[in-house]
Amino acid sequence: MKRNKWGVLSVATAAAALMASTAAGASLAGASVLPARHARPAKAFGVNATGTVTFWARAATKAVPDALVKEFNATHPHLKIVLHLTQGNEATSELATAIRAGTAPDLVGLNDINVPAFAKEGALLNITKYVNALPYKSSLSPGHLKLATIGKQYYGVPYLADLSVLWYNPKLFKQAGISGPPKTFAAMLQDAKKITALGHGDYGLSFAGDCQGCLGFTMLPSIWASGQHLVNGPLGKQTANIAHNAPLKALLGDYHQIWAGKMAPHADLAQNGSTWGDDFAKGNIGMLPGDYGFVTTYLKSMPKSEFADAPLPGENGGPGSTFDGGDDFVIPAGASNPSGAWEVVQWFLAKSQQEQYPALGDTPVRGDILTPSFLAKYPYDAVALRTLKYGSVEYTLAYNELFNAPGSPWYKMFSEAVYDGNLSGALSSGQASFESTLASADS
Amino acid sequence: MAGGAIAGTEARRHHGVAGERVLRRVPRTRRERLEARAGWTLVSPAIVMVAVFILFPLGFCVYISLTNWPLIGPYHFIGFANYTALAHNSVFLQSIVFTLEYTAIVTVPILVFGYLLAVFVRSNRPGASIFRTCVFLPYIVGLTTLSFLAEVELQPGYGTVNVVLSKLHLASINTVWVQNANLALVAICVLVVWLASGFTMMLLLAGMQGIPEQLYESADVDGATWWEKERMVTIPLLRRSIALSLIISVVGSILAFNQFYIITDGGPGTSTVSLVMEIYETFNTAMHVGAASAMAVVLIIVVGLITFVQFRILRADDV
Repeated sequence: MKRNKWGVLSVATAAAALMASTAAGASLAGASVLPARHARPAKAFGVNATGTVTFWARAATKAVPDALVKEFNATHPHLKIVLHLTQGNEATSELATAIRAGTAPDLVGLNDINVPAFAKEGALLNITKYVNALPYKSSLSPGHLKLATIGKQYYGVPYLADLSVLWYNPKLFKQAGISGPPKTFAAMLQDAKKITALGHGDYGLSFAGDCQGCLGFTMLPSIWASGQHLVNGPLGKQTANIAHNAPLKALLGDYHQIWAGKMAPHADLAQNGSTWGDDFAKGNIGMLPGDYGFVTTYLKSMPKSEFADAPLPGENGGPGSTFDGGDDFVIPAGASNPSGAWEVVQWFLAKSQQEQYPALGDTPVRGDILTPSFLAKYPYDAVALRTLKYGSVEYTLAYNELFNAPGSPWYKMFSEAVYDGNLSGALSSGQASFESTLASADS
Repeated sequence: MAGGAIAGTEARRHHGVAGERVLRRVPRTRRERLEARAGWTLVSPAIVMVAVFILFPLGFCVYISLTNWPLIGPYHFIGFANYTALAHNSVFLQSIVFTLEYTAIVTVPILVFGYLLAVFVRSNRPGASIFRTCVFLPYIVGLTTLSFLAEVELQPGYGTVNVVLSKLHLASINTVWVQNANLALVAICVLVVWLASGFTMMLLLAGMQGIPEQLYESADVDGATWWEKERMVTIPLLRRSIALSLIISVVGSILAFNQFYIITDGGPGTSTVSLVMEIYETFNTAMHVGAASAMAVVLIIVVGLITFVQFRILRADDV
């Protein structure tokens, strides 16, 4: 969702990485044949596999694979993972190039919003029967799984979750006489007013106003929590739901009031994500729709009395929602060791590994991990994990064009509605530009 | 008699030239054949490199531009559809206009500041070498790093640029540079001129150091002023260096990407999307490799044409 500029800047670096990974893949092909004395007959797909699994994970979410791959290799003498980290926004082009060249890895941790584009073209292995056989399938992140679904077939399975939450400052809330985090849009607006009224440079709410990806990551869940999506329909026949989307209109309207009423820092206008969340750490921001991953910063730099998280609220209450961001596991159709890859997947999704995710800065993708002991150990992640089952995504091939690209229809609409105050005009032009982008993607 | 001699010389010249050409093409003796073979052997690695890393990718790029090649999935030939679609692509057309506008703005200041800096540091006055190093340092640090620094220093509220300008009462401390297309362009142009002037200074300085000192001494004897010496001696003899500087500067500006991607991300809206950035977004975000390749071919043609025209203009009198 968030754009990684560092990773984007060197095409040469990406090309070098691609060549290196290709070379690594070639060398691994030779290394995959174990000596006869170590070889064991494979019993079934994903069971007692042997050889090597080349695993491409995103550098942006490398903490989990960095730690767990070492553990896997230490405990699995007959199956080894060779980890390759893909840089920044080059992950998709790197994978596509490898698939075209016939040097696809065995397993990929792919940004979940990019999975439909690969699945639709038949580039990924259909793993429906294996996913259906997972005993904990019903507790897997629904948004991650939805993005891995074409029709009723699964082409991926949730890997790790990068979720959005509402960070709030309990100390400021108490000073303003507010009992708890908002559960409706109206409450969020009122809370912002009360906290701003405290003075002393306190602001009710802060948002990354120049980061289209961040805004989608934190605002869309509130619309989903209100029962609406911006894109509806199956791939190929998708329609835009903008002009008559009541929760969207209400949310943009509230953000405009917050902006026009100076309830947000002026610097938000230029916040492009590079220092997103840093202002909240200073203790004078009441609410910050943000990333759960900020917790590592806040735990180090803030008193615990000054930060807590809650689900992003819906228009009229309810359990709230979250953006089911993060990665899906996918196995490319040309993988040389798919059985080994599926064994690795199952190992990552086991409880003992999932429980390690929070300490590594990510959220598990299994809701059944949320036990009283987990809650006590990771109270901030428990909020995110509890919301996982209410989380969602915009299921479309054009997510990047609609939301993340410079001057995307989403950001134009946000900018016109929130900064310029032209709400009806923004929704009207947003409807048209969403429709034309979807039509282009569907064609 | 004289006329006959001249005619004979001309005839020999023509005959000789023609003869040499024939000799070059068809080595007659064993030694000549060996030399020709050795020559081909020596240049063949370069020919192979050019063919593999330049000509083949270029040809492949043109081929892709004639297909609907997606990032992943099947493709088919669609003729010039990608090119005709570009004519209706408002963001692409806007990016061309913006890139040319940016190029026009930065080219002259880079050359003028580079020239003045070169004039300043060519003397052996105390501190010249330190000054030269300081001016060239931004180029060594690199545009990517400087762009990230600029992104932070342009932040409203606490960025150094706003702090300094507000102390001087020239701007508000809350100025949001990246949310105003004109302000963002000004900030980026200042950054680029600062960085590129040092490089231009080095190119021109190398040229200046090749100008014989006697020419300046002769000008001094004739009573020429500083400006007359620059105009009559330095600039004419720097013609090739200036041409090189301009071509590097113009091509670099047309290929601008990093500074816009990092500082403005093309915003506000799409007002600072450069041509290369639009190609990148079409390829990586929209995943339309065919369309992006068509844009790249157009870019190659534009750069080629501009460079060709520059060469013709700057070398018109250089016989």
